Amino acid sequence: MSRRRFLGASLGGAGAGLLGLTGCGSAEGSASAGTDHLGLWYWKGSLSDKLLATARRGVPGVPGLKVRGSQIPDGDIDSKVRTSLAARAYVPDVTVVNNDNLATFFPDENEFLDLRELGAESVRNQYLEWKWKACFTPTGRMIGFPLDAGPTALYYRRDLFREAGLAHEPADVAEEIPTWEKFIAAGRTLRAKVSGKPYLVSNIGNVFQQVLLQSPRQFVDADNRFIGDQGHVRRAWDLSVDILRQGLSARITDGTPDFNAAMSGGRIATMTTAVWAINGLKDTAPKTAGSWRLTTMPDGPANYGGSYMTLTRYCRDPEAGFAFLKWLLSPANQLASYQEMALFPTTPAAYTDPAMHEPDPFFGGQQPIDVFGPAAQKAPVVYFSPYEESANTPFFQELTNVEMLGKNPGRAWRDAVHTAETTLSRVGVS
Amino acid sequence: MATVLDPAGAPAANEKQPAGRTRSTTPGGRRRHFPPLLAISPFYVLFAVFGAFPIVFSVYLSFQDWDGIGDMRYVGLKQYGWLLQDSVFWHAVLNTFEIWFLSTVPMLFLALVLAFLLHSQVRFAGAYRVAYFIPNVTSMVAMTVVFGSVFAQAGLANSALRVIGLDGVGWLSSEWGIKSSVSIMIIWRWVGYNALIFLAGLQAIPTEHFEAARVDGANSRQTLFRVVLPQLRPVVLFAAVTSTINGLQIFTESQVLFQSTDVGTTGGPGQEGMTIVLYLWQKAFKEHQFGYGAAMGWVLFAIIAVFTIVNWRLVAGSDDDRRPGIAGLLRRRGARDGR
Repeated sequence: MSRRRFLGASLGGAGAGLLGLTGCGSAEGSASAGTDHLGLWYWKGSLSDKLLATARRGVPGVPGLKVRGSQIPDGDIDSKVRTSLAARAYVPDVTVVNNDNLATFFPDENEFLDLRELGAESVRNQYLEWKWKACFTPTGRMIGFPLDAGPTALYYRRDLFREAGLAHEPADVAEEIPTWEKFIAAGRTLRAKVSGKPYLVSNIGNVFQQVLLQSPRQFVDADNRFIGDQGHVRRAWDLSVDILRQGLSARITDGTPDFNAAMSGGRIATMTTAVWAINGLKDTAPKTAGSWRLTTMPDGPANYGGSYMTLTRYCRDPEAGFAFLKWLLSPANQLASYQEMALFPTTPAAYTDPAMHEPDPFFGGQQPIDVFGPAAQKAPVVYFSPYEESANTPFFQELTNVEMLGKNPGRAWRDAVHTAETTLSRVGVS
Repeated sequence: MATVLDPAGAPAANEKQPAGRTRSTTPGGRRRHFPPLLAISPFYVLFAVFGAFPIVFSVYLSFQDWDGIGDMRYVGLKQYGWLLQDSVFWHAVLNTFEIWFLSTVPMLFLALVLAFLLHSQVRFAGAYRVAYFIPNVTSMVAMTVVFGSVFAQAGLANSALRVIGLDGVGWLSSEWGIKSSVSIMIIWRWVGYNALIFLAGLQAIPTEHFEAARVDGANSRQTLFRVVLPQLRPVVLFAAVTSTINGLQIFTESQVLFQSTDVGTTGGPGQEGMTIVLYLWQKAFKEHQFGYGAAMGWVLFAIIAVFTIVNWRLVAGSDDDRRPGIAGLLRRRGARDGR
């Protein structure tokens, strides 16, 4: 490219950017305008590389449709989508949205296509019910399509449970520890009877998170009212504080070097988390292979994480875009994605496939699907508000203060409620 | 645009000519200026698009309520009002100043000492200069990950403390631990950079002054405080001002150090690592309160402006040294001691 053309191109680009911001956008804002394929944004690990490679050459069964994926860093994709939508320019036709973030787009639901209008109802019975329901905005538009799920389970160290004289086979543990209260009692036994004095959990934030996710209500209800000061949150809070008071928390932030050391050193006996944590655990504590088992979470499973796919209103060819989603997220391809990328299917048909019943030596030959499959089907339908993060951040923060700095739990609770209320009043939640 | 650029562009081209002749009376008229103006225009165009426009837009944005996509709602000065009542914001301001003080004072001192050592005859001076500059160009995220494991409960820092018989410190879980960890990272990153700036300043001091000091029997310390520092005043001023501006914008260290899935990026326990820019980022880009973020940006601007002026006054003193600036004090003390 000559220097003059380069200058011309960059000035032209800057000018187009300005025009986009001033609001004379149109349906021509697609990032893929002028090409022969649809543009897709995703982050590394959120979609199967093999299937994307196929789609790039041509989506099977949809003549002439090619989809080209662009990798966007995990943490940036949300603001990038937002920026391009605001500028009405270079918007992807199809994009992946993280579980927690789909609701943040509810106030701007018209920026996305209603997938029911493209025939989504025809495949409804293939997907998990709660996941399907979560794709809808409060006004009833379907702006998301189920990608993967994050069913939760209780990960526990069979060897430590056994040493403590507790039930230690998955079915027995599920029976002996049906509630969080029993979970805490087991923690006391572990700490008293096992020689290494293991902690029950790495930190209490995890328990707080899981108890909350077992509730259909979170911090803000569908009428935009703050409900974070009510019983369901208080219960999660009190249980977490109780674990701390009884000295059962290692008080370590997950993912830090201290956490890795504690996990490989066998100082933490359980993890209350989702299916996607398996690979992290294997990387973090390879030496503990064979000692871990999976069983039902106390008080029942929930969903933690997972993603959606959406079509933006700038999608050049909505029919083709939906055909792509239907193909990529079909039961057969979700199964393939599970095998390749450990993305947990949102299509229950896949759970019975022999390919998902591989015994996992890390869990002593247990088949993880035996726990996660039923968990995925039992997760409650949870309503997330667009303002969830603003509302729950103060609670997680104050819980950290209680755990790490010894702040008085009563005061911390009042501070959390107060901060959440002030923050929410700024965005119109009362 | 030409009228704006004319006064700036023309005198440079006609430095020695009387001012009257730079106007369009010369052969070729104004058109004569077009090629050079066109040649320098990319900067102004790019600045207008990526510099001036965002600045003006952020002023406008600070009076709006906007989630980044939907319609903006005019709220007047409400964002600023909320900000003034926001206890987390003021906590972040206090944190930022504490971290800034904890990092900048030792950093400038260390940089000066390093520069002084480099300036004296050492072997492999070039290698040292490169080594000092490396932290500044290292990826901050990578660096923060490394520091994260150094400051872990069972990390290098605590192991070292235990070797010399001290208790471990909660580097990432106690108030002053958090602030010290962030400050140490800032010192590590900027000390070499400032040392090189000081070194450049030192090298501009005529060698006769050092020789004269040596002949008079001054030791290193005396040379540093009585010969070097007074002459280094403009360079110290530059370093102090840029360090203030950088120090008030601390972000990455806290963001990466205290990131966790559930708690988000709130700056660690007690939010002791929460800085102004981290809070701005959290509100604007995580919670999509862009108007609030913009208002915060302008309050930060005001704070930095005030502190830059204070810094200037403090370090530069005044021309006649009657006002008590640091350099003024040093110089006066030098004069007194010398008598």
